[in-house]
Amino acid sequence: MDWIRILLSRFAALFRSKKLDAELDEELRAHIDLAIEENRGRGMNESQARTAALRAFGGITQIRETYRVQRGLLGLEEAARDIRYAIRQLRKSHGFALTAILTLALGIGAATSVFSVVNAVLLKPFAFRDPDRLVVMRESVEDKARSERTAIPDNYRHFLRLKKGAAATLEDAAIFAQRGVSVSPNGDHPHIVGAITASPNLFRLLGVQPILGRDFAEGDAKKGADDVVVLSYEGWQSFFNGDTGVIGRTLRIGGQPTTVIGVLPPGVRFPQIVLAPKIAFQEFARDALLFEPLAPSERDLNADMGNFNYKAIARLKPGVTLAQANAELEALQNAYTLSAHLPLHFGIALMPLAKDVASGVSGALWMLFAAVGAVLLIACVNLANLQLARAVNAERETAVRAALGASRGQLARSRLAESLVLAFAGGAAGTALAFGGVRLLIALAPANIPRLDEVHVSTPVLLFAAGLSIAAAIAFGMLPALRSLRVAPQAVLQANSTRAANTQESRRTRSMMVAAQVACTVVLLIVTSLALRSFSHLLRQDRGFDASYVTLAQVDLFSPQYGDSSNTYKAAKLSFTDRALAALGQLPGVQSVALTSVAPLTGETWVDSLTRPDHPVPAGKEPAINVRWINPDYLPTMRSPLVAGRNITDADRANPYVALISERTAREGFPGEDPIGRKITDLVPDDKHPITVIGVVADARINGLKDNAAMVYLPYWAFTPWTLSFLVRSSQPSDALIPEMRRAIWQIDPQLAIPTLKSMDEQVSDSVASDRFQTMLLSGFGAAALFLALLGVYGVLAYSVSLRRQEFGVRIALGSGKSALIGLVLRQAAYPVLIGTVVGLAMALIALRWVHSLLYQTPVMDPLAVGGSVLLLLVAASIAAIAPARRAASTDPMRALRME
Amino acid sequence: MAESKSDVLQGTLDLMVLKTLESMGPLHGYGIARRIEQVSANTLSLNQGTIYPALLRLEQRRWVKSEWGVSETGRRAKFYSLTRSGRKQIEQEIENWERIATLARFLAPSN
Repeated sequence: MDWIRILLSRFAALFRSKKLDAELDEELRAHIDLAIEENRGRGMNESQARTAALRAFGGITQIRETYRVQRGLLGLEEAARDIRYAIRQLRKSHGFALTAILTLALGIGAATSVFSVVNAVLLKPFAFRDPDRLVVMRESVEDKARSERTAIPDNYRHFLRLKKGAAATLEDAAIFAQRGVSVSPNGDHPHIVGAITASPNLFRLLGVQPILGRDFAEGDAKKGADDVVVLSYEGWQSFFNGDTGVIGRTLRIGGQPTTVIGVLPPGVRFPQIVLAPKIAFQEFARDALLFEPLAPSERDLNADMGNFNYKAIARLKPGVTLAQANAELEALQNAYTLSAHLPLHFGIALMPLAKDVASGVSGALWMLFAAVGAVLLIACVNLANLQLARAVNAERETAVRAALGASRGQLARSRLAESLVLAFAGGAAGTALAFGGVRLLIALAPANIPRLDEVHVSTPVLLFAAGLSIAAAIAFGMLPALRSLRVAPQAVLQANSTRAANTQESRRTRSMMVAAQVACTVVLLIVTSLALRSFSHLLRQDRGFDASYVTLAQVDLFSPQYGDSSNTYKAAKLSFTDRALAALGQLPGVQSVALTSVAPLTGETWVDSLTRPDHPVPAGKEPAINVRWINPDYLPTMRSPLVAGRNITDADRANPYVALISERTAREGFPGEDPIGRKITDLVPDDKHPITVIGVVADARINGLKDNAAMVYLPYWAFTPWTLSFLVRSSQPSDALIPEMRRAIWQIDPQLAIPTLKSMDEQVSDSVASDRFQTMLLSGFGAAALFLALLGVYGVLAYSVSLRRQEFGVRIALGSGKSALIGLVLRQAAYPVLIGTVVGLAMALIALRWVHSLLYQTPVMDPLAVGGSVLLLLVAASIAAIAPARRAASTDPMRALRME
Repeated sequence: MAESKSDVLQGTLDLMVLKTLESMGPLHGYGIARRIEQVSANTLSLNQGTIYPALLRLEQRRWVKSEWGVSETGRRAKFYSLTRSGRKQIEQEIENWERIATLARFLAPSN
């Protein structure tokens, strides 16, 4: 512990140095006085005594200096001197300082902003107890097409058995479903909020306790007792304005009075967990504001096949690995599949909660992080180059200082101090920028990025920024600092011009750095152009439908008269739909009104299997299809062409058991057959009536632009869904139409929620929001990298030309032509650029393997993207090189020679 | 290399200062310097001034403490004395020295 004491006393001394200096002087004077006295006692005269005393003492000044160093904080004073000196030097060349600080600020600001997103979305643990032990539990089935297992949502009955059986590895498990519900707190038009219906142990499993009221009890999960609700903190704020007397009050959820029993603490946000990795629901991408107990239905308790409608979260016992839990659960599933003679072989798929929540975005985010890191790296190389040039310029000064006795450490330190000052200023400015950058990112980011509301500049983010600044200072300050170690004073002082500076060696260092910059830029440009290609392909390919001039309104029939507890609900739903279609058709400029049960581009939903009585296949082996309930005007409104058979007509209303199938469904369900006239069954809920295929519709990317979906369209007369999407084709712009549509719908039923009301163009654009986000950020980073690389090439070349003025003068005097000189300079630029390009291409080969999965139908070796990037870089580099080259060629030989 | 040599010298000087204070009691810097000169009988030629960084070093380690007092000749001077941990340190340092001395005897030419 000695060193702590020493450090403390040295630190304390820092603040009292004046007083301590005086004390030391006093002590030393006493020493000399005492010595003089003794010497005089031995018979010396005054001056002899003084001389002898001083001689015996040694150098007073040296002693004082040693004493001060001993007293001071390990070179802190010296460091302060270095920093003061650095600031003075930087002020002298403020142009350089400003450029450097700005470059750094932008680099650090961008990297910090992206990191704050990475931190919140991918790194920050959840606010639950021991979040590392939480896993998302899904079942799995064999995917015959790809001979691998696919995760599917959970079946309630299977879950109960698994929870009971997995005693060795699971501490607890909860099952839940996520949905949208309509809430009308003040009797207004209702709106749709996210809700979770969960087994009553969910909060105990997560380690969350209500701040008001109580947690769910087992008794709440019974039909009849389940009309209770726990509010999230945000829900409490928005429905009851944070009223502390909320417990026992009533909230109407889907028209049903529900009693509030608890409120969760702030900061507890239940993450978005997808049903299965391949199923994306736009409508569920809402934060859960409500939690209701899950009271299992008869079907939940008895169905072994089908009813895979749930998600499950489990807590591993301490020390249990994912693999152990997987093995135990897998064995349980195996045993049950065999003993219950299930037609499908079920397995298990566990995923750590954090990884599961981030799985959809982690690849893209890490790529963006890598890209912004590359930009920062390029910026650092630029600064290193500039610093190196400054170090070379200051070589004479360094040599003088070395000759006067400055140690190598001191010289290197004062060089490094300059970089530190720059990095500190740049880091501070960058952190300030990051506050704005984070806001910008949140504004641009697509809604499907989980935990986006947790993104802000937090302590870890600030630490990251600080670390980054120091790393940057070391990165661009080390080389020049090391260089000043190697200055040979004699050689430099004897040379009578700056030509000594432009040695072969330093030129090589600078060229290497340019090559590194170019290599990074090539990689970034290729990735960016691939992302751009991928995105434009996504937007420009044929969709199979036409979204322009169409406005979308989604209406949820969540009021009691439409609920299946009412006897007349079928008629109520049907009559509302008919009236709404008619009313919307009356609006000015409307050409046609379509109905579909699921808003376009919201992912795979209502997935069922295609069952053919004439062609039975083993259960679970039927092709999967998306069922949509439509009206006859759906195809004309969406401009989806019919390729065979006929459309649904009003004449089918009396006998609505007809279906349209998409080309893909025809291919997969009726391979090599004519599907028209064939029967299919079991698509209408609770109705075994066979359905006749009457037409085939051209494939359309109606669930998402990335895939042609396998669809089956049925008339809404056979079954009217609870969520209705009206698509209105009109000559009127959406902006004008939207209020009209809202009024028309609420005129029929004011208690209906309209969660979505926007143009289809907007819907298309929203559906590719994450691709756009990725492309946009990458383009920004790519442009920044190109610009920085351009600066790098220009800076190095311009500097080298300015050093070689005399040489060019001599060359011109000896008869060298202008074009020869331009060629000379360009050749000098060409080597690092070409080497960098080749290295960059090699690096891109490695990087692209990883990026591949983030691209949509774009080959990584896309010649246009790769060739275009390289060409762009070479053109930019040539532009950067041409100005210095021309300056070299225009050297006035007389003036250059006179400079000697 | 040069560093390790001065380390040994520093250590020696420190120990001599501690030893002096142990045998003489509280003493000012000049007194300590003179005493060391006498004891070492000029085998250790040092500038008296070097005693002060050494004293500061020992004070920072809390082995000695200092206070202002008045010398026998009536001059104001800073007096140094051993602390408890300083006394303990002497034992330890002496042990170290004995180990080295044993080694030195072992290494000495045996004639």
